[in-house]
Amino acid sequence: MTFAARTWGRMSLTARFTAILLPLAVLLAVGTVVGIVFILPPTMDFLGANLPLVRFAVAVVGILVLTIPTAFVLIYMELKVIARMNLRVGPNRIGPWGAAMSLVHGFKVLTKEDFAPTGADLTVFTLAPVVTFLASVMTLLVIPFAPGLFGQDLNIGVLYFFAMGGLSVLGLLMAGWASFNKYSLLGGLRSAAQIVSYEIPLTISVVGVIILAGTMSMNALVLKQSGSALDWFAFKQPLAVLIFFIAATAEANRTPFDMTEADSEIVAGFATEYSGMRFGFFFFAEYVNVFIVSALLVTLFFGGWTAPFDWPWPYNLNWLDASGIGILWLPIALAVLVIATDILGAAIWLLGGRSWSAPAAFGLGLLIAGAGVTAAAGLACFIAFDWVQGIFWFMAKTYVFVFTFVWMRGTLPRVRVDQLMGFAWKWLLPASLLNLFVTAAAVIILNQPATPR
Amino acid sequence: MTFIPGLGIAKGMALTLRRFFAPKATIQYPETRPDIAVRFRGRLQLLYDELGNIKCETCFQCAQACPVECIDMGGHDTKSRFYTHWGPAETYAERREESALRRSGRPVPDRAFTHFEPVDLVAVEEILERRDYDPGKMLPILEEVQAAYGYLPIAAIKHISHVTGASYALVYGTATYYSHLSFERKARTVAVCRCTSCLLAGSGRIANAIGEGLGTKLGGGPADGVALEQLPAHVPGAASPLVTLDGQPQPDVTETSAAAWSRSLTRKTVA
Repeated sequence: MTFAARTWGRMSLTARFTAILLPLAVLLAVGTVVGIVFILPPTMDFLGANLPLVRFAVAVVGILVLTIPTAFVLIYMELKVIARMNLRVGPNRIGPWGAAMSLVHGFKVLTKEDFAPTGADLTVFTLAPVVTFLASVMTLLVIPFAPGLFGQDLNIGVLYFFAMGGLSVLGLLMAGWASFNKYSLLGGLRSAAQIVSYEIPLTISVVGVIILAGTMSMNALVLKQSGSALDWFAFKQPLAVLIFFIAATAEANRTPFDMTEADSEIVAGFATEYSGMRFGFFFFAEYVNVFIVSALLVTLFFGGWTAPFDWPWPYNLNWLDASGIGILWLPIALAVLVIATDILGAAIWLLGGRSWSAPAAFGLGLLIAGAGVTAAAGLACFIAFDWVQGIFWFMAKTYVFVFTFVWMRGTLPRVRVDQLMGFAWKWLLPASLLNLFVTAAAVIILNQPATPR
Repeated sequence: MTFIPGLGIAKGMALTLRRFFAPKATIQYPETRPDIAVRFRGRLQLLYDELGNIKCETCFQCAQACPVECIDMGGHDTKSRFYTHWGPAETYAERREESALRRSGRPVPDRAFTHFEPVDLVAVEEILERRDYDPGKMLPILEEVQAAYGYLPIAAIKHISHVTGASYALVYGTATYYSHLSFERKARTVAVCRCTSCLLAGSGRIANAIGEGLGTKLGGGPADGVALEQLPAHVPGAASPLVTLDGQPQPDVTETSAAAWSRSLTRKTVA
């Protein structure tokens, strides 16, 4: 027996942990110092020299991460809202009010067998959900969430959005083709036909807004609508809003236009042969799509992140600025949280009688204090930072439309496929063209005296 | 009616929004137990005993408890008599005359229907008239009907139920509760004593006369619901010759009146 083995055998559990962790900690400390001294400055220089690259990387990561809670919230909303409309309660077992249900759905999909049919074109079969998902997610890059909070302020933002949105057709076609199943192929072709048909009125309805604003940059479009709710383009382009909403419903494959994957009628369209997370990605993309079209609707017609009324208070709470003295508020908030938790917990424990054990009482105290501190901090940030306000208004407006989509799914029956196509070509397209001509004519007539030749 | 595009959609959306805020129908089962009536027994099910016989005694109590009065039944009671009972007439109009088959006029071979032989309801109507059609006087009504017919015909009970407004189950329950009320036409027994003193007093000739009047002979089985038998032992204190009807001595029966008396038993079963 070697010396090391004998020593290890004599050590207590604590000593063993220490023996493992202490060298690691020392190594980490040394590594940190070396990193700060030798590696950090050149890295920072490099990043500083390539700021657009950094911005892009951060934006992409941020948007990819954002899609996950978005999809979870949307799945939960669908379960809960439609359940309530059916006079049911909906998920209520997992998490508070069943909020963890979508998480469980995600894990369920992850644990399923990942299956590819014999004869499938495996490369295309695997790429199809990725293309569908990324086509949706990449459109998020140009959506301004708040002043200064967007991936890229492209001067052709709207164009980019529709170009990327059109890519999702490619994903569906790939899925239908690669599945080696004639029904999948038919489903893929059908959804392609639907999406391409509705893409046209969708795009043309937006042209009116572009004519009015004179720009295709999303950020500029929002700024054009700043002020109060009366400055929104929705009131100048009511027909366009209607067309856009209907076409966007079809574009996102939502009821009443969800012919492509009408779960209760056809098998699954292009997704027939998909299982596990590959299948999950199609629905991930669908839920993200709902959020995206709502966000676009808000950005184009409902003022984006601007408040619906003239915000009367100036942003003068500079003492909250994180770069200055504001960072001090973090320990203060933490101290308030700890003290409030102790006081509340003790009060509940002492006054609550025998039914409260100490951990339960202090847990509830922590919950209440945490909620209070979070609310206070949120309110302070809301007043202090315009981007917090922007995110608040943007999300509030967007989720109103997300709710409307879910509400429609809880109400309307599916349309027949020929009615679907007929409606797009016979009604929506002429209406959008009419809207375009009327808008253009109005702009020319109104601008006549202002622009003398 | 003018067509307004989108009105139907708006109405539907309004409906679902109202439903969104409406109270929910779900009962959170393990935490909340549904409020079930004490007498609730779940799905109606007929039980069988260990010998494979159905346990239902056609007591009609379930039909009586049924709030919508939808239960009819047929089956053997504890005395192995077969009965079919129908719910109140107003529940199923077409069952008022027991069945469409029966109404078609064709012969019905089903013994379930033999109990519904129509009877002359004049006597029932008289009794009901006297009792003021009062369901509260059900027992006297039933007793008088039994006295008039010798038994309680199902048709009479249905008529009573229909006219007084008391549910059939109620009338039936009353009728089956009291042991002196019967649904069966009782077989009557005329017994003649053949002890030495009675034989000397002429009971042999009386027996022959009664047998002639009934159309049978001593020990020859019942005829028209009346059986002629030999009394096993002389009733103490009774005069000779002794003739009994259902155990009751009939001192009026003599050699000369016996034939007419016996014919009167068969002419009408009514006592």
